[in-house]
Amino acid sequence: MKGKSTAALAASLLGAALIASPAHAQNQKIALVSGISGPIAAMAPAMLEAMKLAVTHVNEQGGIGSGGKLEFVVGDDACNPQNATDAVTKAVNIDRVIGVVGPACSGAVLAAANSVTVPAGVLMITSSGTSPQITGIDDKDLVFRTVPSDDYQGRALARTLKARGTEKVAVAYLNNDYGKGLAEAFKDEFESIGGTIAGYSGHEAGKASYRSDLAQLARGGADTLVIFDYGDGTGLVLLRQALENSFFENYIGADGMKSEAVIRELGADNLKTFFTSSPVGEASASLDAFNKAFSAAGHDPNAIFATTSYDAAFLMALAIEKAGGDRAKLSQALREVASAPGEPILVGEWAKAKQLIAEGKEIDYKGAAGEHEFDEKGDVPGNYAFFQVSGTTYEAIAEMK
Amino acid sequence: MELIGLANYAVFIAILIGIYALLSLGLNIQWGFTGLFNAGIAGFFAIGAYTSAILTSPHVAGRVGGFELPIVVGWAGAIAMAAAIAWPIGRICLRFRSDYLAIATIGVAEIFRLVIKSEDWLTGGSRGITGIPRPFGDFDYMASQLAYLALVVLAVVAVYLLVERQLRAPWGRMMRAIRDNEHAAAAMGKRVEARRLQAFIFGCALMGFAGALFVHFNRSITPEAIDPMIATFLIWIMLILGGSGNNRGAILGAVVIWLIWSISELLTDRLPTEVAIQAKYIRVFIIGLMLQLVLRFRPEGILPEERRKEAAQPRTATNA
Repeated sequence: MKGKSTAALAASLLGAALIASPAHAQNQKIALVSGISGPIAAMAPAMLEAMKLAVTHVNEQGGIGSGGKLEFVVGDDACNPQNATDAVTKAVNIDRVIGVVGPACSGAVLAAANSVTVPAGVLMITSSGTSPQITGIDDKDLVFRTVPSDDYQGRALARTLKARGTEKVAVAYLNNDYGKGLAEAFKDEFESIGGTIAGYSGHEAGKASYRSDLAQLARGGADTLVIFDYGDGTGLVLLRQALENSFFENYIGADGMKSEAVIRELGADNLKTFFTSSPVGEASASLDAFNKAFSAAGHDPNAIFATTSYDAAFLMALAIEKAGGDRAKLSQALREVASAPGEPILVGEWAKAKQLIAEGKEIDYKGAAGEHEFDEKGDVPGNYAFFQVSGTTYEAIAEMK
Repeated sequence: MELIGLANYAVFIAILIGIYALLSLGLNIQWGFTGLFNAGIAGFFAIGAYTSAILTSPHVAGRVGGFELPIVVGWAGAIAMAAAIAWPIGRICLRFRSDYLAIATIGVAEIFRLVIKSEDWLTGGSRGITGIPRPFGDFDYMASQLAYLALVVLAVVAVYLLVERQLRAPWGRMMRAIRDNEHAAAAMGKRVEARRLQAFIFGCALMGFAGALFVHFNRSITPEAIDPMIATFLIWIMLILGGSGNNRGAILGAVVIWLIWSISELLTDRLPTEVAIQAKYIRVFIIGLMLQLVLRFRPEGILPEERRKEAAQPRTATNA
């Protein structure tokens, strides 16, 4: 009896799925893949909510094509290649998605792109895979990202420091793809424009003391320490110990260090020589629109990768609309809707975009995280500013070129 | 849901199951037949994966490599390297009894993981290695997957037959004797330490082979793939669930766990979105729960170890 009822339930579920699909023939389905379980489980909900908000905007304002809806399936990459390929294979083959938004971690993106989406000819837009290796995938123009490669920020920071007159620095980085990616790009750029790296070392997260690492770095004689780490994690411990023992005079961080926990824990008075770089949304009207909509939906718009996730999903929808649901034209369509020239489209302006596309006019999506002018590798440059501590928060003092 | 899509997906799942089955078979030699508690599977998986990757991938500035050797050489290298590294480790660690051996091997695997993450010149550090060739990788998506599946199935069948043959031979009986009562085996004149070392190396070589198959399938490898959760403990669950001491059980365990993980999602995705997302967390819970239930109600696993009659008598005698 029990076996029978389970089988009946399974059959009815399958049946429902089969009956449901032909009724919405013009519907388009995409996959939203994030690290729902695993090491970045804390970040994944906000990323997924932002992607879902984009889908909601699309469906509330006319949907896809003539009367179709944008549907989605959610996949879990667990931040590792094994589960990422599994989730994406399922999305591509079983759910027959037209495009994939995600996966979340760089290793997951590399494996899923190499072994599934590129061979299958499916467009992928990741909103949080920042490894420079993603640039080099032999991708037949099918892998894009709305988050800048770590390479850009590291290089921009090197140029900014040099322009501000810093000649000699020591670099401490967290030994993961984020910290190391930034550190390598920074070192390469800083040395090529004539700066000196007087100390360079990676550290593991979660140690109680980094004093010996710091002493080693200080031995090179630099008065500036560049920290590529997270300000609510190891980076805070490192910075505190460096300040306590006055190992250096100036401290520079990247976006991971621009955490209010740093100011709260160490006090603004002690941080007069602490600066960070961080990406800034350039089209502020678009960013405002996102912040408003995402807050209204009950989520924190400052959550990491929320803006890039929204943009990735919204761009995917625009490309599908532009390509008329034709999988083969999708990546070309994505380039057209994301790049100038064209009528600017801001966050949430689906109805306007849809109408312009129907009229055959060019559009140019300006997202919450930036303008997303993809280069030939499918990367975006990103905009950065240089911040100093001001009161309980950070204040931008210069643009970074 | 089109048939061709289902077929593609089935092929993909079968490839991953095959790779995990190899890992599980390797662990079965060590734990199931010899009683060695190896908790460092991820380490040997990683050695195989990275060895084959370095031997076959194109040159990248700042990293050893660019040998672009044929894939077969990469696989042979992976097996040889995993075995070669297992030897000194086995020499040192196998003196420990089971739980201490577990701690030592966890440590060893963590050392490998940190070395892989840190030594850029060798492994590409946290960025990993990309551009690794896949055999038949130029074919269409479906054809390429099918060809790879054929290779993996061939590998699993060959390894299964090899291991079965070895374990039915006097060597296998000797290993069981050592596992069940090493003092008695030593009293019978068996060289316990040397035999354990053989089993350890044999198992680790298979894990290295699995790593090589994995890396060519994904065409890339990053340290995220050798997380102990997905590359050590999951395999333990597979073996215990399937039935340690039984090679078919080891393979079955790999099948059951991947099916729970992957296919359950096909059903839960038909539920409303919010519930479907929560169901993804529940999969992890279900796997843990299954392990608990199996350990409680059927500790010998789904397919328990076969005991032939002539072996049954002495075993009860030695246990007494």
